[in-house]
Amino acid sequence: MTKKLSLTPYFFLIPALLVIAVFVLYPIVAVVYYSFTDYNISTPPEWVGLKNYQQLMKDPIFWQALSHSLIYLIVTPTLIFLSILLAIVVNRKLPGIHAFRALFFIPAISGSIAVGIAWRLMLDTNGIINGTLLSLGILKEPIQWLAEPAYTLPIAMMLTTWLGVGYYMMVFLAGLQNIPEELYDAALIDGCNVWQKHRHVSIPGLRPQITFVAVISSLAALQVFNEIFTLTGGLGGILNSGVTIVFYLWRQAFRLNHAGFASAIAMVLLVITLAFSIMNIRILERGTEAD
Amino acid sequence: MQQTQTRSVYNAAVFRQVIEKILLYVVLCLVAVVTIFPFVWVFFTSLKGPNDPIVSVPPQLIPQDPTLANYVRVWNQLPVWRFYLNSVIVTLSVVVLNTLFTALAAYPLAKMKFRGRDTIFYLLLATYIVPPVLTSIPSFVLAVNVFRYYDKLPAVIFPYLAGVLNIFLLRQAFKSVPDDLLDAGRMDGASELRIWWNILMPIIRPTLATVAIITFVEQWNNFFWPSLMLHTRENMTLQVGLVALQGAFANDARGIAAGVVMTVIPIIIFFSALQQQFVRGLTGAVKG
Amino acid sequence: MRTRLFALLIMVSILLSGCAQPTTQVPAEPVKETVVVTVEVPGEVQVTTVVEEVLVTPTPGPNPEAVIEGVEQNAEITFWTFWLSPTFDDYIKSTIARFQEAYPGVTVNWEDHQATFQDDLRNAFAAGNAPDVINLSISEGWVSDYATQGLLLPLDDVVPQSAIDMYFPNLWDQQLVDGTHYQFPWYQGIQVNLVNRQIYDQTGLTIEDFPKTVDGLPALCKTIKEVTGTLCDIRLTVNDLLAQMTYEGGVQVINADGTAFTFDSPEAVAWLQLYVNMVKDGTVDKTVLVTDQDRVGLDLFTTGQAAFYNTGPNLIREVRANNPGLYGYLAVVPAPVGKSGVVGKGLMAISVKADTAFPNASIALSQFFTNPRSMLEFSKIVAIYPSTPASYDDPFFSAAPVAIEDSAKPYAKDAVSKLADIVPTVPHKADVNEIVLQAIQQALFNNVDPQQALSDAVASANALLP
Repeated sequence: MTKKLSLTPYFFLIPALLVIAVFVLYPIVAVVYYSFTDYNISTPPEWVGLKNYQQLMKDPIFWQALSHSLIYLIVTPTLIFLSILLAIVVNRKLPGIHAFRALFFIPAISGSIAVGIAWRLMLDTNGIINGTLLSLGILKEPIQWLAEPAYTLPIAMMLTTWLGVGYYMMVFLAGLQNIPEELYDAALIDGCNVWQKHRHVSIPGLRPQITFVAVISSLAALQVFNEIFTLTGGLGGILNSGVTIVFYLWRQAFRLNHAGFASAIAMVLLVITLAFSIMNIRILERGTEAD
Repeated sequence: MQQTQTRSVYNAAVFRQVIEKILLYVVLCLVAVVTIFPFVWVFFTSLKGPNDPIVSVPPQLIPQDPTLANYVRVWNQLPVWRFYLNSVIVTLSVVVLNTLFTALAAYPLAKMKFRGRDTIFYLLLATYIVPPVLTSIPSFVLAVNVFRYYDKLPAVIFPYLAGVLNIFLLRQAFKSVPDDLLDAGRMDGASELRIWWNILMPIIRPTLATVAIITFVEQWNNFFWPSLMLHTRENMTLQVGLVALQGAFANDARGIAAGVVMTVIPIIIFFSALQQQFVRGLTGAVKG
Repeated sequence: MRTRLFALLIMVSILLSGCAQPTTQVPAEPVKETVVVTVEVPGEVQVTTVVEEVLVTPTPGPNPEAVIEGVEQNAEITFWTFWLSPTFDDYIKSTIARFQEAYPGVTVNWEDHQATFQDDLRNAFAAGNAPDVINLSISEGWVSDYATQGLLLPLDDVVPQSAIDMYFPNLWDQQLVDGTHYQFPWYQGIQVNLVNRQIYDQTGLTIEDFPKTVDGLPALCKTIKEVTGTLCDIRLTVNDLLAQMTYEGGVQVINADGTAFTFDSPEAVAWLQLYVNMVKDGTVDKTVLVTDQDRVGLDLFTTGQAAFYNTGPNLIREVRANNPGLYGYLAVVPAPVGKSGVVGKGLMAISVKADTAFPNASIALSQFFTNPRSMLEFSKIVAIYPSTPASYDDPFFSAAPVAIEDSAKPYAKDAVSKLADIVPTVPHKADVNEIVLQAIQQALFNNVDPQQALSDAVASANALLP
C-alpha cells in the first residue's frame, strides 16, 4: 500500500467525524464545563466551581439513585441465564419451533414504551393482575403494585428482563448453532449427561456471545430510563423508589432546570460506565485466556 | 426372546422421547403464554365496549360487547397516522444516511494508512462508553439556540447520522476483505470512491444489513431524546406519541389499549414478514 | 416561463385582494330620518323648501367589542390554549373569527397543548418562540410562576381602565407579583364534588350528608371503604402543594416579609396529618394521591371506580361523553371548604408574553376572549363561569337549572365573585415544591413524623432564600 500524502482518507471520514464531533465530542466538553456552573438553560451559565459536586455528595436522593442503578445490574446475569436456557430449549428441530422463536422475540420489537404502558395498565389497582389474584383467592384485597416503594424497582427489573429475553435468546441461539457438532459428539462419547454437556461444551462455546450480552446489558441496566418513566410517570415512584441515575438526571435537568447540577450527575455516570466497561472486558478476557 | 427384549427397550426409548417432546412443548407454551399474555390482554381490552368491565372478579378477557369505538376515539383525539409517518421518515433517514456515513468512515480506518488513523480510531472507540443521556443537555441547548430545530424532525435525525458501533462493525467487515481485490482495482485506475462503492460494498452486504437493522430497531424504539425535542402532536414520533396518548387518556384503559395496539401491530407484522433477515442481522453483529 | 410568471402574478393579485377586505362592522339598521332639502328654483324669486322622508343607513359606528386602541397593522400572533381541543374547536375558531371582524388585519395562529403544556411552554420560551397570547392556569399557579421569571407582560399601564372594570375585582387582582397585574381572568370553575350514586348510596348516607368541610372527608372515605371496598379518589396537587396547604389547611406558608418559610406550623402539621391518617387507614388510592397528572383522578371517576371526585361542573361533560351509563347516577354537591374559608381561586387566565412583537394586538386578543360576550357564549356550551359580572345579567343565568351541569348556575355569580388567590408569592417555587413533595412522601409513606418532615423541609427551603 502506497504511503501517499493524499487527502482521500479524510474526505471519507469527514461526514461521520463531523456528526460525532458535534453531537458527541462537543457535548462531552460542554457537560464538563456545565458541571462547574449554575445553569438553567434560559439564562447563561454562571461559574460556581465545585459546588455541584459538593451538593451531589450530600444529596441523599443521588445516593439512592446510584444504589438503584447498581441494584438494577442484577438484570444482567438473570438475562444471560434465562436467555441461554431458552436458547438451548429452542435449539432443536421441533415442528413449529420457528413460530415459537418469533413469538419470544415480539416483546423486544414492540419497544419498551408500548410494553411499559401495557404493564402499567395491568398493574393498576383495578387491573387484571389484581383481578386474577383476587378471583383465585390468593389476595383478599387488591395490592397497589405501583404505590409500594419496595415493589417499584423489582417490577421495573422484571419488565426489562421480560423485554430482553427474546432478543438475547436469538443471539445465543446463533452462537449455539455455530458450535461444531463434533464437540457435542465427543461429550456424548465421554459419557456426559445433559447438564454436563451444556456446561462443558455450550457455555464455553458461547463465550463471545456472553461477553457481548454482558457488556450491552449491563450498560443498558445502568442507564435505564424508559421502564421507570412509563411505570411511574414523572414521579419516579413513591419515596423515589424507582429513581435511577438517568431518571434523576432527567428530572434535575429537564423538570427542575438545574442543568449544571445534572451535568455533574452526568460526569459521575460517565465514570461509572467507563469503570464497568473496563471491568467487563477484563473479566471476560481473562476467562478466554484461561481456556 | 432376545427380539422381544430389544423391542421393549426400543419401545421404552420411544416412549421416553415422546414424553420429552411433550414436556418441551409444555415449557414452550408456558413461556409463550408469559410472553404474549400482555399483548393479548391489551388487544381484547381495546375492543371492550363501555359495558364490558375492565375490572372484575373473576376477570373477563373476551369482550361481550365488542366495539371499535375506542379506536375511533383515539384516532380522533390524536394524529396516530402522523406518529407513524414521522417515525418512518426519521427511521429511514437515519438508517440510510448513517449506514452511508459509517461505511464511508470505516473504509480508510480499515484499509488505508494515513496520519492520525490510529488516534482517530481509538478516540472513536472511547466515545462509545459515553452515555447518550450525558450528551443530551448540551445537545438540547444546541438544538434550541444554535440549530434552531427544536420541535422539528431534523432534531431527531441529525444526532444519529453516525455511530461508533456501526463504524466498528463495518471496519471489521472491511478488514476481512483481501487486499488483492483492492490492489486490482487500483491498478485498473479506479478512484478510491469507485473501489469503495463498486468492490467493497457489495462484498460486505451482510454486515451492512446488520448495521441497518441494528440502527432501525434502535431508532424505531428511541424515546428519550425525541421526547425532549418533539412537542407538538403533529411532530411526534411513535414512541413519544404513545406517551402523549397515555397522558391524554390517563385511566381510560380501553383508549390506551387501542392506542398501544395501533402502534404495535404494524411493527409486529413488519417484523414477521422480515423475520429471517432480522435474526440474521442481529446475530451477525455478535460474530462481528 | 412567461405563462408561469403571469399565473404567479394572477395568484399574487388574488391573494392581495383577498387581504384587502373591507372593514366589516356591526351591521347597522336602516333608520327613517327627516331630511330638509333646500332647492333653488331658478327664474323665480321664491325658494322652496322640500321636506322629504328618506331612509338613511347611518354609517356603522365602531365595533363595540374593539376596545383596545393602537392595534398593530398586519400583526400575526400566536395563541396557546390549555386542553380545549377538540371539544371546543368550534367555539375558539368562531371567537377568533369575531375577533378578526373587530380588529381586521390581525392574524391569529391558534394551538392547543395538553398534558405537555408546561414543558412545551418552557421550551418555547427557551427557544425564543413562545406564543404571544397564553392561556395559563391560575389554579396551578402558572401566572405567578412565569411572571416572577419576567416572562409575562405587565398589564397595569397598558390596559384601559374601561376594560379592567369589566372584571370582578378579586379576579383581576389575582397572582400579582410585586403588586403588578399579569393576567386577564378567563373562564372560572366552581369547585364541586361529583358523586357516583351507585357507590355512594350503598353507604346509606344521603347527598345532604356529604361533608361540607375538608376535615369531614377522612370519615367519609372510611365508611365508603368499609361498605363498598372502594378507595377514595383524592389527589394532592403535587405541582403546587403550598397552595393546597393554604386553602385546605389555612396555613401561612411564608412569613410576611418573605424571609423565612413557615409551613411547619401546627396548622400545616394538622393538614398533613389528615392525609397521613387516610393513607394509614388505607382509604385512599396511593397512586392517585401523588400522581402529577390531574386527569388520572378524573378518569378513575369516569370509569366508575370512585365514589366522588373534586372538580368543576364543566368536566361533567367529559364524564358524559366517556361513560354515558354513569351520567344518570351523578349527583353534584358544593366542594368541601378548607380551614381558610375560601373555596378556591380562579381557574383560567390569559396572559401576554413580555417580549411580544405585537403588544396591542396581543392585549386585544386577550381582552376579546375574556369580554362578557365571549364568555357568555362559552358558558352556554359548557358549565364554566364568566369572570365578568355583566355576563350574569343574561337570562341564561337566571333560568332555572335543568341538567345536572347547570346546578351551580343560580349561585354562580356569587361564588365567582368570592374566588380569591390567597397564596403568597413563593420564591424558587419549583425547588421549594420539590422539597415539600419529598417531605410529604416521607410522612405519608415512610412513617416519618409529619412535624419532623415539615420542619426539615422548612430548613432546606430556607437555605434557598438569599
